[in-house]
Amino acid sequence: MEKTKKPSLRAWLEGGGFFIAGFIGALVVGWVIFPMVLYSKQPQPMNFNHALHLNPEKVDGIEGKTDAERCLHCHGLYDDGTFKGIPRLSTCMECHDNPESPLGKTPEEKAFMDEYVAKNKEIPWLAYYKQPDCVYFSHIAHIKNGKLECTVCHGDHGKTSALPDYEANLLTGYSKNIWGKRISGLKTNTWDRMKMDDCAECHSKMGHEENNACFVCHK
Amino acid sequence: MELNRRNFISLMVGGVAGLHITPLPWKLTDDIAIWTQNWPWVPVPPAGAFNSSKSVCTLCPGGCGIEVRKVDERAVKIEGRTDFPVNPGGICPIGMGGLQLLYNEDIRFARPMKRVGPRGSGQFADISWKEALGILGERIAGLRKQGNTEAVAAIDGNPSGSAMSLLVERFLKALGSPNYLRTPSMDDTYSLVNLMMQGTEGPMAYDLENSDFVLSFGAGLIEGWGAPGRMINAWGMWRAQETRGKVKIVQVEARASNTASKADQWIAVRPGTDAALALGMAHVIIKEGLYNKDFVGGSTSGFGEWSSFVIRQYSPEQAGALTGCPPEEIRSLARAFAKSKAPVAVCGRGKGTLNGSLYELMCIHSLNALTGGINRMGGVLVTDPHPLSPLPDITYDEVSRQGVQKARLDQAGTPRFPYAQSITSVFARAIREAKESMIDTLLVFGSNPVQTLPDGGLFKRALSNIPFIVSFSAFRDDTSMYADLVLPDHTYLEKMDEVVWPAGLQYPLYSISRPVVKPLYETKNCGDTIIELAKNIGGSVAASFPWKGFEEVLKHRAKGLFDSAKGLVSYKGTAPVWKMMQKEEEITPDYKTFDDLWNKLSKGGFWYRPVHKYGRWDSIFKTATGKFEFVSTRLQLAIQGYLRQNQADPTLAGLGIGSGAQTAAFPHYEEVKAPVDAKAYPFTLVPYEMINLASGSVASPPHLNKTMLDNQLLKEDSFAEINPKTASQLGIKEGDPIFIESPAGRIRVRVSIFEGAMPGCVFVPLGFGRIGWDEFTRGKGANPNDIILPQMDPVSGQPVWWKTPVKITKA
Repeated sequence: MEKTKKPSLRAWLEGGGFFIAGFIGALVVGWVIFPMVLYSKQPQPMNFNHALHLNPEKVDGIEGKTDAERCLHCHGLYDDGTFKGIPRLSTCMECHDNPESPLGKTPEEKAFMDEYVAKNKEIPWLAYYKQPDCVYFSHIAHIKNGKLECTVCHGDHGKTSALPDYEANLLTGYSKNIWGKRISGLKTNTWDRMKMDDCAECHSKMGHEENNACFVCHK
Repeated sequence: MELNRRNFISLMVGGVAGLHITPLPWKLTDDIAIWTQNWPWVPVPPAGAFNSSKSVCTLCPGGCGIEVRKVDERAVKIEGRTDFPVNPGGICPIGMGGLQLLYNEDIRFARPMKRVGPRGSGQFADISWKEALGILGERIAGLRKQGNTEAVAAIDGNPSGSAMSLLVERFLKALGSPNYLRTPSMDDTYSLVNLMMQGTEGPMAYDLENSDFVLSFGAGLIEGWGAPGRMINAWGMWRAQETRGKVKIVQVEARASNTASKADQWIAVRPGTDAALALGMAHVIIKEGLYNKDFVGGSTSGFGEWSSFVIRQYSPEQAGALTGCPPEEIRSLARAFAKSKAPVAVCGRGKGTLNGSLYELMCIHSLNALTGGINRMGGVLVTDPHPLSPLPDITYDEVSRQGVQKARLDQAGTPRFPYAQSITSVFARAIREAKESMIDTLLVFGSNPVQTLPDGGLFKRALSNIPFIVSFSAFRDDTSMYADLVLPDHTYLEKMDEVVWPAGLQYPLYSISRPVVKPLYETKNCGDTIIELAKNIGGSVAASFPWKGFEEVLKHRAKGLFDSAKGLVSYKGTAPVWKMMQKEEEITPDYKTFDDLWNKLSKGGFWYRPVHKYGRWDSIFKTATGKFEFVSTRLQLAIQGYLRQNQADPTLAGLGIGSGAQTAAFPHYEEVKAPVDAKAYPFTLVPYEMINLASGSVASPPHLNKTMLDNQLLKEDSFAEINPKTASQLGIKEGDPIFIESPAGRIRVRVSIFEGAMPGCVFVPLGFGRIGWDEFTRGKGANPNDIILPQMDPVSGQPVWWKTPVKITKA
């Protein structure tokens, strides 16, 4: 039998170099390339300036004393308590009622008037915060009974002047906002992530552990 | 630096190690799990605005109120309505699954079609409405030209007295045909019994919620009988803490149905001997003087004659011999029933939609009379039909005037069948046995006779002799598979229609269903189709249909409700109607103008009258004697009429009566004996109905297959329930495939051994064995109707479906 040749130090170092190259390469793939590949990037059909619309000094007719009330002015509730979600065109048209006379001077509003109001076409918004179909979530239970501010889950979305691109997970179809903007899945703010554990964490913290039972949300 | 084998492995190991401290494997694992929950074929409702529409379910004669939850225009759920007087929030599983009937494209016709393949193959080609109406219009116009209008026949399953049934009958008359047939229904038997014994024309109105002793003769009270939402609620109330033990429920049935097993007492009698049990009870009640002397003494006629007959022939021992029920049980049941404050005897086998036997129902109704339960709180109320405006007179021309006077093919109304409205088996046999069919064109409305007629396939075979068959069904149902032309109706969630009187309800309620979604396809409300067809034919036929559309007909009828200046059109749900009725107070209508009433009514609304005047025994009966008749004058007249014409038959055998002329006008037990060798066919086939299996003209939504247990439906096989004793006698065990055979044919099922099945009987569910519909419905299980012998109930001429002699062999 032939004797196995012992590798030289040089060979060891070389091997170590390749190991580190592979290691760093994997980190680059996992942390940089993977998130780029995993998510689509789609611009919203048009821009919407939340900051502007929520400013009562600039916009007549935004009613409500608190931030939450002002949010609810458009993102309202039906009579039976179900959440309206993203407003429909009819809500926009409560103010932007005449395509001939825009309320501001922005080119965005002009485009909105021509493209949607004049044609009476719904805006195909892409929803950042839509939970999957198997999840029952009641807004009214959280904002009225739980007295949560909108920002607890939605962060400063209401203070932005431009809508970020919508990013959907190509595998699952879910919005990136559900998993969280950080690919690590780590979070610092309550609104960074919207997974089941985040719901449960808050329930427990608020002393509503009974609401962590499966059938509370997965009906 | 060389990428040799060793270095390559180092690179890979480094890569793998590195990957584990990136989110990639963990995130991918999570995402793949989520991905598996999002297969493209898993149905997910679209995102949109939630809203709901209220309407009325017209799938069965119960007419429960429904609320359809929608996302934008897509209906996503059907729930019971709480602002509807009939069903406080509940509906049955079939009603809940109704959306599949709307959205399943394999189940329904999307547009008019004509047949291109052989009959029964279900191969059709699309045609336009214009062409479809043209084909039928020309055919009818051609027959009218030849003066051969009686060659058009219609078979109709719309509830009797409904606007749809009136329009169909009117259409036939206007074009000149007497051959308007209805599929047999319990409603017909109820009306006949009321007419015979009370002379009244209202429906059977059971005041069950106010009763303290409900004696049900085979009625599946919690299995779809009446309005299922109402009954399930009533049952819950009877069993609630505060009323527990105060209301007794007794079920008379050969099989331990769900109702029987949840009742306080289950009395198993031989199939078809319910009348004998009722008479045995009557014997005890009369003999022991337990009957209501006020009512029987003052407000009935013929009691003396009938009671001595009952005393003579139906002692508990005699009744026990017929029914198989121990005489002591009959005695104690009779005593308990008669001594209760508000007992009521209820009939209507299973879901109470299939016809009953005239004499049997008369016997059962006699128990209500003996205990003074007629028009008493908690009994059977005598009510008037709704004050709906009648339709204007039909315009006849010479052709139609002569046509309608010709003899009906089914002989209904002749001295042979004096009180029958229509007899499908006589009709089918006449066509089958004739060399050339007398019927050229058969129109099928709101019914599915191929599936539902209990005649051993007689009607289906007769179809092959009819040159032209037109289906007006919304669905690819079993009968439309034989149609040459299809003029599809909307489904019940897309159309306006009416529920005239929810089956069995104790107070008048009229409701209108409305489209909860816009029609999905090019279908048309059948009422509109008839009106359009009549206008196309022209002349007097068109003149008989002066309306623009079906909605106008409904509006015309509703005018009568307004003119009556009675009733309410809203219901708050604070007090149930049966409680409101206890006050016997007149109410002020909650509508001011007709437009107000119509506005509410036409949006899935209702009109009802929560007022009843109990008692009034001196004025409610419209018989010749003005009293409740134990010996029916109308029956006597019919028998005399028959005897005048058929002097050779003094025993009345031709009427199907075996007991002779003496007792023919009495409520009595009439055994229907099949003309077969009892030794060759030693077992009795008894069909039964289940709450989660639609047994009528419309099939179950396919989802309901999933509610079937493995001993109810296993792949393609349905099951027959057999007592362990009978099974061991036959040497068969659980799950064995068997043939059940009658002289009319045989079906293949599997065996389910069930101790609640009466020995010697075999129980097979109704609703399986369909040949149309979609892949999940077609060919599932066997249809007992295929082997039921077409026997007739005496006098009424309706089919006897509840017992058929069969033999059982291993398959």
